[in-house]
Amino acid sequence: MNEVISAKHISKSYHDLKAVDGLSLSVQKGEFFGFLGPNGAGKTTTIRMLTGVLKPDEGTILINNCDVKDKQQVSRVIGVLAESTGFYGWMNGEEYLHFFSNLYGIVNKEHTISSLLEEVGLAERKHTAIGTYSRGMKQRLGLAKSLINNPEILFLDEPTIGLDPQGQEDTQQLLKRLNKKGVTIFYSSHLLHEVSQLCSMIAVINNGKLVGEGTLEALQQQTGSKDLKDIFFALTNN
Amino acid sequence: MYKYIWLKDLKAELCTWKGLVWLPVTAVIFSVTSYLLLTNRELSLLDQTEMLWLFGKIIIGSSLLAVIIDASSLITSEFEYETIENLFLTPLSLKDFVIGKLLASLSLWALVYVVAVPYMVVTSAGSGLTGAFLGYTALFGTLAVLGFATLVFAVSFIYRSMKNTLTTSLVVLLALSIPALFSSALKNTTLARIFGNINPIDNIFSALDNILVDYQTSLGQNLTFIIPLIVFCAAMLVILILSVRAFRKKGIIKG
Repeated sequence: MNEVISAKHISKSYHDLKAVDGLSLSVQKGEFFGFLGPNGAGKTTTIRMLTGVLKPDEGTILINNCDVKDKQQVSRVIGVLAESTGFYGWMNGEEYLHFFSNLYGIVNKEHTISSLLEEVGLAERKHTAIGTYSRGMKQRLGLAKSLINNPEILFLDEPTIGLDPQGQEDTQQLLKRLNKKGVTIFYSSHLLHEVSQLCSMIAVINNGKLVGEGTLEALQQQTGSKDLKDIFFALTNN
Repeated sequence: MYKYIWLKDLKAELCTWKGLVWLPVTAVIFSVTSYLLLTNRELSLLDQTEMLWLFGKIIIGSSLLAVIIDASSLITSEFEYETIENLFLTPLSLKDFVIGKLLASLSLWALVYVVAVPYMVVTSAGSGLTGAFLGYTALFGTLAVLGFATLVFAVSFIYRSMKNTLTTSLVVLLALSIPALFSSALKNTTLARIFGNINPIDNIFSALDNILVDYQTSLGQNLTFIIPLIVFCAAMLVILILSVRAFRKKGIIKG
């Protein structure tokens, strides 16, 4: 295993509020890394720093041994489903993926797009304007977009939010398949049962600081709790 | 990569009411204006060259207004609809992003210009000025659109808000347009002369007067008006570069 995400002592403040405070993380290649924390703990800020859209005030971030500031290199190996993803409502699903595949300079895009639309269950609605999509459908499209460049590392911020139970199940299966193929997945979610089912490593942050990191078994030993919900409460002092 | 941003925005112009509305609106403005100029008793008494001058000012003025309103949303909508994050997660550079947006603005001007062409041809028929009218309107319109769109983009990166960008850009347009309405006496004051020499709108209107009313149609005879416009574009480009640098420093997501 080799390290594909390395964050060392990263901090970010919004005016007087320290959103992330000296956080260090290490994710190995092929890991399914769960990232947990209560609302406002700094999860989205951390993901935005790891993906290069937000500059940390302090600290260093390496993605696949490249400084995250090297946008050209980093953007080609990562896929991101951001928490607040906007869409061009006038485009249809296929056009949307076509647009992003052009930005990535993908060859054989027709095949990639049709298989991704099939994979996320939007093949039948690919010619419908995104403006008419439900929240769950937009989430599926966002997931397809994050996979368009066949990324080695996938950052997912609440990927199953807004999805119906079937959608959640389909997404989980898709992520499992991707992980099996060797894709490293950085997975932020509030759905603890999902995290416990999917993730091989779990990190918990609270008030911008890392309060726990390890396998589920290691966290169980650390907190003396069996259930991830109890572990979460124990680590975040709730 | 700017090509994809340009094509996306061009398609947005043509697929949504936002952009498409400008074409019928400008067509109505040009129809009403040319109809009045050709049929209204008082207006039709105007010398044809004076009429062309007035019509040229209306074409460039209304195009600038359309382009400024449209450009105000070209970049800011990416912030407001939260699509900017996804764009910059790709290998897209900021330079390509801006060039694509600038081309989209110029495309809207090109479309409005195409709508204006038949009106210009009809109103200038028989004057011997059709070529000059078409050519110089294209030249001055393109330079003005380039300068103002660049300014709008600079403001967009600072505010990241459509409302504030639009308000600021319209105030600038208004501030530069008002001196054009000054009487000749007012325009002859030293301050007004200095301001007139650097004001792009004043220069365009004076150039059209020079070309269409005074028949000074060669490029050399109009360099005194073209150079300030080029300087205006260059100055706006510098402002845009500074604004983009500040944006890059702050990051895509405002801290």
